[in-house]
Amino acid sequence: MNPLDQNSQANALLDYIVREVIGRPGISLSADSPLVSSGLIDSFALVDLLAKLEDVTGMRIPAGKVQPKDMDTVNLMLLTATRIGKPKKSS
Amino acid sequence: MITAAAYLISLLLVFAAAFQDRCRSRQVAMLAASYVFYATGGIGFLAVLVASSCLNFALGEYLRRKPDLKRLWIGILFNVLLLSFFKYLPSFGSAAVSTSWTADLLNRVAVPVGISFWTLLALSYLFDVYREEEINPSLLEFCLYMAFWPTVIMGPICRLSTMLPQFQQVRGVAIEDVLAGARRIGIGLLMKVVLSQLLASGLSGIDGVAAGFDREAQDWGGFDVWFLAVGFGFQLFFDFAAFSHIVIGAARIFGFRLDENFNSPYLSSTPSEFWTRWHMSLSFWIRDYVFIPMAALRRGTLWRYFMLLFSMILFGLWHGAKATFILWGAYSGALLVLHRVSQQLQRRWGLNFSSRLAATLSWAVSFLAVSLGWVFFRANTLDQALRMVQTVLAPVAYSRFVLPQSYYVLVSALVIGYFAIESISKALASRSVLVSSPNTATDFNAVSPFLWNARWWWLSPMIGALLLFHHFVVSTTNVDLTPFVYRLF
Repeated sequence: MNPLDQNSQANALLDYIVREVIGRPGISLSADSPLVSSGLIDSFALVDLLAKLEDVTGMRIPAGKVQPKDMDTVNLMLLTATRIGKPKKSS
Repeated sequence: MITAAAYLISLLLVFAAAFQDRCRSRQVAMLAASYVFYATGGIGFLAVLVASSCLNFALGEYLRRKPDLKRLWIGILFNVLLLSFFKYLPSFGSAAVSTSWTADLLNRVAVPVGISFWTLLALSYLFDVYREEEINPSLLEFCLYMAFWPTVIMGPICRLSTMLPQFQQVRGVAIEDVLAGARRIGIGLLMKVVLSQLLASGLSGIDGVAAGFDREAQDWGGFDVWFLAVGFGFQLFFDFAAFSHIVIGAARIFGFRLDENFNSPYLSSTPSEFWTRWHMSLSFWIRDYVFIPMAALRRGTLWRYFMLLFSMILFGLWHGAKATFILWGAYSGALLVLHRVSQQLQRRWGLNFSSRLAATLSWAVSFLAVSLGWVFFRANTLDQALRMVQTVLAPVAYSRFVLPQSYYVLVSALVIGYFAIESISKALASRSVLVSSPNTATDFNAVSPFLWNARWWWLSPMIGALLLFHHFVVSTTNVDLTPFVYRLF
């Protein structure tokens, strides 16, 4: 899978959060909207988002190295992926 | 006499620390105060705490040089073995061994006070070093973090990332901190000495929650079990939240801000929300260091449900090596899984339960389900817990009443009073925020912030009346104050 550019990654994540995680298509979110600290997403959804983040960025992200505060906004998620992610081995 | 002198020395050292100009001398005085305070439980306990602190600091340095999983596991194993030796081995061991001298030896193993709490502090430090967080304490700072006098006995389980900057600041005692801290301590004392005690011992001193659970004849009726479950849930809340208030208040007096441990948990409208409001420092610890890393290991909903169950069983086991705690954890985990499944079904079928009636129903079901779980937590044996749950499920049991009428009146009064005060406070607080907008300046909105801001003027007489009631009703029965429930863990 070809990783998307930063803007497309952010849009893909936002779209997924609005449709699949929060389940309210009308809600308006930006890449800097707080998600965990505002209570919009909980720990269960955070695990879903980690998997989605791996798909979108094409990185393997060790979950043991991630804290909820690292996933508070879409921009922070992408930063975390860049900081601790490793490129996935192609199968 | 020695204990009283130690408490006094500890207090003097805390005051001495507060007025130190230099950061290092402040930390030294604070650590000395913490160690003297902790040693009142036993010098041997202090030796275990100091050894654990030094070893964990060394493990952290070792992990920092190369933050890999193998090194992290060494640290995890050390802490789990230490905790298991003191906390779990005596229970499991004495049940398993056949020779009387071995059982006797195991029974002599005393549990260092607060070991369940400070072991989690050490583990969170190691996890954070593994995550390459920017925390680099000195040995003195790390020992202070582990032994910090307000939190060493029963938490809250604070993170080093929030405590370290506070340890490194030099500040005097501010009057607003003293007032805020004193108010928290006052609220804590009221919750513990009056509310929790009333529920524990009842109006006559012998008809409270304790007597209800410890009855010899286990012939409760359905309503008896529900009222015992709700009564114990509130007793535990008033007891543990009281301790948290006192600890947070005591630390605040000296300028330290600790993490909150409770946030009106019984107002939660789902079981998931409840666990973000009840014993928050432990709940978030389990979430951050157990659930998320483990749940993300595999994809698939079933695995995540399993990890929810596993995390909550661990939550129960942390309280002690008893089948009832494990069952309580499993029950709480099952509630979380059921909530997730219902969420998934609602989404799949396009159902929307956002009306006020649906929210009230959701709150009522969650409150009753969580309350029923306290039966497992409090029951003296597994057999008793199962018998009580069977009673709840048997319709014929609802025609039988064995608890005294005064117990029903007491629980009803305290529960209704609690919800009334919570609701009024929340309504006033939100109105107080709303009136800052010029469009909402109605008469009521002008009155409510006044009531909210001046709440201590009208709340104080009510609290005074409650204290008088406590004095005349409970104190005259010569009942000893029930110790804090969480000191056992």
